[in-house]
This record gives sequence, structure tokens and C-alpha cells, in this order.
Amino acid sequence: MAESDRVAVTLAEWPDDVDSDEGVVVNWFVREGGRADAGDSLCEVQIEKVSLDVYAPAAGRLTEVVVGEDGEFADGDTLAWMVPDGG
Amino acid sequence: MSETVDRERAIDRELTMSRAMVEAIATEMRDDEEVFYMGEDVADYGGIFDSTQGLREEFGYDRVMDVPISETAYLGAAVGAAQEGMRPIAELMFVDFFGVAMDQIYNQMAKNTYMSGGNVSVPMVLTAAVGGTYNDAAQHSQTLYGTFAHVPGMKVVVPSTAYEAKGLMHNAIRDDDPVVYMFHKRLMGIGWLPAPDGPKTPVPEEAYTIPFGSADVKREGADATIVTLGLHVHRALDAAESLSEAGIDAEVIDLRSLVPLDTDTIVESIEKTGALVVVDEDYRSYGVTGEIVASVADEALGALDAVERVAIPDVPIPYSRPLENEVVPDADDIEAAVTRTQ
Repeated sequence: MAESDRVAVTLAEWPDDVDSDEGVVVNWFVREGGRADAGDSLCEVQIEKVSLDVYAPAAGRLTEVVVGEDGEFADGDTLAWMVPDGG
Repeated sequence: MSETVDRERAIDRELTMSRAMVEAIATEMRDDEEVFYMGEDVADYGGIFDSTQGLREEFGYDRVMDVPISETAYLGAAVGAAQEGMRPIAELMFVDFFGVAMDQIYNQMAKNTYMSGGNVSVPMVLTAAVGGTYNDAAQHSQTLYGTFAHVPGMKVVVPSTAYEAKGLMHNAIRDDDPVVYMFHKRLMGIGWLPAPDGPKTPVPEEAYTIPFGSADVKREGADATIVTLGLHVHRALDAAESLSEAGIDAEVIDLRSLVPLDTDTIVESIEKTGALVVVDEDYRSYGVTGEIVASVADEALGALDAVERVAIPDVPIPYSRPLENEVVPDADDIEAAVTRTQ
């Protein structure tokens, strides 16, 4: 599959009730190479005291984790890449 | 979805221990309307150690209840509800708080089936957060495994990974007698209390049970047997890894339940290795380490060449980080104890 067909995994929406513009990835639930359905929880992030799940944008395979556990990220950052099924 | 994809997904999906616990509870609540959860901060907050995340959103306040800080009242209510046919899960926020409700736990929950001549059963689960390693001082850091395993009338289980957490929880809720389910805070996978590598495991989506009284050999070895539970399964595995570099091949047994105790698996291992090292995060005296050593001695005294106990020395768990690290056994302590048996 062409590299351009991959989909970025990002936090859907930065929460309103926090001041920080940085978050931390707490747990990945799928390893690199693993697959998930659209909407499955891929990882859990924490921004200040708020915990949020990041969901698979499509059914497919998680090909690359960009921000590992304990890694920091900002609004809009790509946390991982997925290659959708079928393509 | 195809079978192949299903199988693959079961392997691909990993859960933290807290999510695996919650998945089992939610499944049982969907299947049986008599199952409900009560405890301090379990509804809106989702459990201070994430033991009930998302349950209130799905099941509402009638089945996921926040209760006042009155352990005697709500644990007593759970015992009564269980005797009347419901299947309550009641949570002690910290196991250390058991003292104020000791009569409800020790004399009612554990004994009412016996005292009623078998006319009532008490099908409840008492969940409790246990353990230290995060500087929460002497009244919020204990495991108290021995205190709960001591009294007849209740089963006591301790998961070490997400896989165990789900299977033991299904079995606990379906059991017709009281089960104490002790989950270690450090294993839950919480952001502010990071777990070691190990407790986050692949977890099948479908329900499954792990029978009580079935210890699991987490690592096979020929030279020494490390018997442990909870957090210290992971510390023992770390120790075994270092020991293997020194040419010592350690077996690691995860008890998974203290009551019933799977003595057979331990004895079988000792007959192979001859060296017993029991590792516990509870106090040394009158506890799990003494009990395991005595149980093996009862059945296979001749097989024992060496015995070591690694536990909290008989002191309150200190608040200070260096002092707490000193008294809670770590991988180095386990490694040293195993080395002494060789």
C-alpha cells in the first residue's frame, strides 16, 4: 500500500477545561503492527488531570506509533499512523 | 467480522488491568440485573484507581452507587442485599480502611452462610485497592493479604495482569460465596501511577473465567522457586531475568488466589528445584510467607533444601520515599534471596 494512503491518528478534540497545551500519552492498547476497528480505543492520553481516549479513525493496521508511552504531544500532533483495510 | 479477524483482534488488543476489570464487571452487569456496584467515588469519579471507569455512564446511579464514607453501613448493606438474592460488588477504597467495618467483613460477610445453617448465601464481591510504592504512608499503603486470607468463609484473589484481572473478576461475580478481590494500585495503569511493564496484556473480548485455586507458572526454571502474587510477580520476573545472566534458573509462580491456595503447583515446583523463596508485600510475621513455607513443609519437608522469606519487615510502611523503597521488597532483594538459596 502506498505511503500516502495512511491515516493519521490524532486526539479528536482538545478539552476546553484545561490550561495546558501539552498532553502525555499514558497507555497504548494496540502495538505497532496490530489491527483495530474504526472507533476502537487506540490509546489513552492525559492532559492535566483529564484522561481521554484516542480512537481509530478507520479499520486497519497500526503501522507506526509516533508518540510512545510517557511521550508528550500538542494539539493536532500525529500520535500514530494507520493503514486502512482494503485500501 | 470473519473468524480470522476476530482471532487476530483478540491478540492485538491490549488492556490495562483497570480496563480489564471494568470490562468483566460491565459484562456481568449487562447479563444479570442483580449485579450492582457500590463504593466511595465509584460513580461520578469512576474509582480513584479507575476500578469503575465508565460504569455509571452505562448503568446509571441505581446500579453504580456513590456511598457516604461509612464502610460499616454500606458493606453491611451489601451483605444484606447479597443474602436477599442480589449480587453486589462493594469497594473498599483502600484496603487499609477495613478496620472500621471489620465486623461486617469478618463476622457477617464471612460467616452468615455458616451461622444460618446454609439458609442464606452471600454472593458478593468485596473489591479493595492494595499496595504501596507511591509514598502514601502507613494508613494507605498496606496489602493486608494475610489479614483477609486468615479468616474462614471468604475467598481471596489477587490479579497480577489484565488477563488475570478479567478472568478472576468474572469468576468472583459468578461465585455464590463472598470473594475478596484485591487489586494493586501500581498495576492498574493509571497516568499518575505508572505500571511496570507486564500487567498490560492481550485480553480476549469474550467472557472467560480463571478458576480460584489455580496458581500460574509465569516463568519456568530448574534452580529455585519464587512464589509470589500481585505487583511482586513482575518484580520476581525482573529478578529471574537478572539471575539467568548469573546462571541461576528461577521459576516464578503467581498464586492468583490465596484462598483457595494451590499448594499442589508449589509443591510440584519445589520437588523440582528444592529451593523456596516466598515474596510478599504484606508484613513478614503471621502472613503469606510463613503460611506458604509451612504448607510446603507439611507436604514435602524432605524436598526443601533452602527457604527464604522476602516481605515487609514488621514496621508501618514509611511515607518517606527512600524509607519506603527500603522496606518494600524490590527485584534486587528477590535476586539476593534466591542467590542465598543456591
